Amino acid sequence: MTPSGLRPILEVDRVMKRFGGVTAVDRVSLGLEPGRIYGLIGPNGSGKTTLFNCITGVEQRDEGEIRFKGRRIDGLKPHQIFHEGIGRTFQIIRVFPELTALENLLVVTTNDYAQARERAQELLRFVKLEGLAGEYAGNLSYGQQKLVEFIRVLMTDPELILLDEPAAGVNRTLLNDLLDAVRQLRDRGKTVLLVEHDMKVVMGLCETVFVLDHGEKLAEGPPGVIQTDERVIEAYFGR
Amino acid sequence: MKRWLASAFCVLLLGLALYPMAGTGYGIRFMLQLFMWIALAQSWNLISGLTGYVSFGHIVFFGMGAYTAAILIAKLGWPWLLASLAGGVGAIVLAMVIGWPCLRLKGPYFAISMLGLNEVLRVAVSYFEGLTGGGSGLSLPSLYASVAIYYSMGIVALAVTALAYVVVTSRFGLRLMTIREDEIAAEAMGINTFRYKLYAFLLSAVGPGIVGGLAARDQSYIEPVSVFPLIMTITMIVMVLFGGKGTIWGPVLGAVLLFTLQEMIWSRFIYVHQLLFGAIIVIVVLFMPRGILGVLQQKYNLPRII
Repeated sequence: MTPSGLRPILEVDRVMKRFGGVTAVDRVSLGLEPGRIYGLIGPNGSGKTTLFNCITGVEQRDEGEIRFKGRRIDGLKPHQIFHEGIGRTFQIIRVFPELTALENLLVVTTNDYAQARERAQELLRFVKLEGLAGEYAGNLSYGQQKLVEFIRVLMTDPELILLDEPAAGVNRTLLNDLLDAVRQLRDRGKTVLLVEHDMKVVMGLCETVFVLDHGEKLAEGPPGVIQTDERVIEAYFGR
Repeated sequence: MKRWLASAFCVLLLGLALYPMAGTGYGIRFMLQLFMWIALAQSWNLISGLTGYVSFGHIVFFGMGAYTAAILIAKLGWPWLLASLAGGVGAIVLAMVIGWPCLRLKGPYFAISMLGLNEVLRVAVSYFEGLTGGGSGLSLPSLYASVAIYYSMGIVALAVTALAYVVVTSRFGLRLMTIREDEIAAEAMGINTFRYKLYAFLLSAVGPGIVGGLAARDQSYIEPVSVFPLIMTITMIVMVLFGGKGTIWGPVLGAVLLFTLQEMIWSRFIYVHQLLFGAIIVIVVLFMPRGILGVLQQKYNLPRII
């Protein structure tokens, strides 16, 4: 149960992941309530992306359980977890460069082609890229590729969206569009968990922030409280 | 433009259909081998051009088809056309057995495993002498059927190209390409990459299997070294790279250009054509890794139907 007593949509329960002698994620537990935006922050190498990878099945956790809507998803393959309703973007852009922007979206859904096309066009308009639908994704600018990756996740309307550094390398105008888009998702009842280094973005967007340090969960709370937490400040800047 | 191209294609097909009435024996045999190469290159393109999983032993399916058909013809007296189709089925079964473990391997490991499996099958065929004739080969009862084989090869080449068209222009084909582009992202976007690779692999085996059976009938004699040669796999790869991997017409273009060139050169200098192939690999990899049609497609943003 989460603090407000709602049943969490995602429960990460004492998840541990080791790489050789390094414990990348050390018995981390998180609970996400539906319809909220969560931030996951921490210094470089604190285990944020590894935790994302464990949730989405890209890495297999060594210990602990991950439940989505009450069902265990640890042990499932990434494509199965996607179909459970969890979509993600990557820290390093992973669009399909030799597919067009439109094709990047079309490959995702299992809807019939006409329906998928309509949804794709709608999403391209949503991020103002409709004019570039036929362009190879590899020819788009960095920020545009980021948007394509973002809307690609939305093709199937997942309930939980994990965004790995959505703001990095995106200019201010595009960024504001992207943040608006995330808020709209939340308003439609979706849950968002984002890893972000840009504190302005985290503080302006997230309702709850989790702080990781050396693979352990250091703190959890509203951004205002986290910002003044001494342990967090120490983790970032040293004593 | 589109209509013009379509009519030109129909005229070409009609010309090819009528060719055996006017062609010389040499001409017909040249053409049927060209059809064979189109079918082989196009099949390699289905798995390796689209998913990026480079099969370095793709001729194994040709050899499988050749032996399946030859044994059915020589030992059981099957008609050669039916035996060749059975060769295609044999190749699919082999692809299932090979693909299940090997398609879990990534990149160069898959390429090497295919290379190894081709050698394993070649040795295995030599070993089971009772069935295959072993190293001394298998002779088929003599039969003059060049014209019939010409049409059969032509139909297979056309069918595999039509298959490539259907695949490349479908969402199934786009999903195969996502595996080439970024397999981890494809998985994360809900694509069951293993299953898609396996389907592509099965599709890529059937053409070489049938064509292998037809080639066995055409040559009337097969032996392990003649139907499992590494150089044939390399030739397929070079044809596809030259014409444009992952495109529909690239493998056809590559096969036509290189086979014609090879035939022109090797009738005069036996060994130089291999040197030429080596040179083409180097030039293509260095200056146009996408091949002829790949370069045009990228430059002019052409649709996928080329």
